[in-house]
Amino acid sequence: MSRPVLRRALSLIFVLFSVTFLTFIVSYLAPGDPIRNMMGGRQDPVRYVFLRHLYGLDQPWYQQYLTYVSHLLTGNLGYSFKYPERPVWDLIATGVPVSLQLGSLALVISVLVGVPAGIFAAVWKNTWRDTTIMGFMLALYSIPSFVIIPIVWVIDLALYRAGLPSLPVAGWGTPQHVILPVLVLAAANAGFVARIMRNSMLEVMGQDFVRTARAKGAPEYLVLRHHVLRNALLPLLTVLGPATAFLITGAFVVENLFAIPGIGYLSIQAIGQRDYPVIQATTLLLATAVVVMNLITDFAYTLADPRVRFE
Amino acid sequence: MINIPKPLEQTKSIRPWWIYFFRNRAATVSVIAVLITLLSALIGPTLYQRLLPIDQRQVRDGIYQDFDAINGSPSVDHWLGTDYLGRDTLTRLFMALRVSLLVAFVVESLNIGLGCGLGLLAGYFGGWVDMLISRAADMLFAFPGLLLAILVSAVFGSTARELYGGIGRLLLVATALSLVSWPLMARLVRSETLSLKSRDFVMASRGLGATQFRIIFRHILPNVMWLIIVAATVDVASVIVNEATLSLLGLGIEEPAASLGLMIFRAAGKIESHPLQVFIPAVVITTLVIAFSFLGDGLRDALDPRSR
Repeated sequence: MSRPVLRRALSLIFVLFSVTFLTFIVSYLAPGDPIRNMMGGRQDPVRYVFLRHLYGLDQPWYQQYLTYVSHLLTGNLGYSFKYPERPVWDLIATGVPVSLQLGSLALVISVLVGVPAGIFAAVWKNTWRDTTIMGFMLALYSIPSFVIIPIVWVIDLALYRAGLPSLPVAGWGTPQHVILPVLVLAAANAGFVARIMRNSMLEVMGQDFVRTARAKGAPEYLVLRHHVLRNALLPLLTVLGPATAFLITGAFVVENLFAIPGIGYLSIQAIGQRDYPVIQATTLLLATAVVVMNLITDFAYTLADPRVRFE
Repeated sequence: MINIPKPLEQTKSIRPWWIYFFRNRAATVSVIAVLITLLSALIGPTLYQRLLPIDQRQVRDGIYQDFDAINGSPSVDHWLGTDYLGRDTLTRLFMALRVSLLVAFVVESLNIGLGCGLGLLAGYFGGWVDMLISRAADMLFAFPGLLLAILVSAVFGSTARELYGGIGRLLLVATALSLVSWPLMARLVRSETLSLKSRDFVMASRGLGATQFRIIFRHILPNVMWLIIVAATVDVASVIVNEATLSLLGLGIEEPAASLGLMIFRAAGKIESHPLQVFIPAVVITTLVIAFSFLGDGLRDALDPRSR
């Protein structure tokens, strides 16, 4: 028990280290002199040296990295170049709950859609029903979100024209604003979940204990519910990590097209202003979110599956 | 009389892989779709322009703004209409296809070079070489999805443009995208190499005194080739989407160059009045993505030695 946990913890530290290191190196190598940009027209050598020292940019790179990490450990994500004296955290703090809400709702919906779709496709294996469901899910999975969004808009506008109830196509704040972006974000993920679920169902359905259960005369729905489904749901836990990664990339597109003030939107804004510390911080934050998600998945898996625990 | 045994008859005829491949209807259709796309990206713009007399060709060069036909509908001059600046949509589409395919080509070249080379090294030599390469791949794997590509193209984007112009942006996007995709290739090649390394034919070759160079290039590489081809083909689909995504976020290809993502983004606001401008690139990118995934699946079924 303790050995795998130890290895897990070590690899977690390695991953977090590499995330901080790479984000630091990319920003360190960033071209241009941020201090000169910040001072704009009022170039004053004394103030220049002072500011360079204040931001720690006069230090060698390993010193800067150590400072960066030690600041991170105290919860300081650095200072914005664009708005001097404002910590980066201040700038992105408003975006975190928005993105979190969007992402978690999309995750829940994609599981609620994908799991039943996968189950029914597996039960109706190789019939027209299976082909239809999985074809639809494949379409959801492979059509990029920036193609789905205009289609959704057109439908929504048509509803609006017809005087039927329609939803706002951009912005954030009311529950109505949430529906469209969440659905778009959930679409691709639902396709992904459905595929995993179908494969996992089929794998369990081919095992000996299922045949035994059938041979003992258990009705089909009981076999499926008690023997197949309970085992087939387990691999779904491992999807959580990749699904989070998937949602994060999707969120960049969805937040920008729907003008939702989440992390993806804020970091693209920051890129426009060449405010590298902000994009560095968001990258770090999102990568850490995935790392944490993976860790939670691992522990949940050990809790849910005794076979893993006792191995 | 000595009974000379006849050579064993082959029980299963070894057919060339394309027989298996073309049995798959989806894959066959996809191959045709991909070939048409390639061809139209290569010769489409020239052909389309030459259909007009020489003094009118400028109308279809994709940069020229036809002020009489801003947001124009399909017409004799502009077969698929014009965009918000009066530029010919079909030419822009060809240009965008060139960009997509060029980016995909560069990414897959880097991917195959880096991923396959390092994967072979890591799998074959093991030890500290493996350790070093695998850890480097793990470092890049720590970033979810496009995140690292977004960071890299955001930070170096403006410099690439200032130094090398549009082509600089394109190469930066390609590099950023291959940065997030080679670790997967390396991992696949590494694990395949590991399993091949201990096979009998490699042992036999080693016993006969083959050099390591010969073992890697004559025995292992040909046997992982199918994997490389399949992985690269499947990856093309995601590279096309990723390039469009980066361009859409303003981090990739910039005007006056064309990109499918950029075309969709620019037209998305006017979808109500000019839906065609969104739907043309949207349909093209979806077709491409689906075609490349089916192509990859078909190649896998045809080439994977274990699937026979």
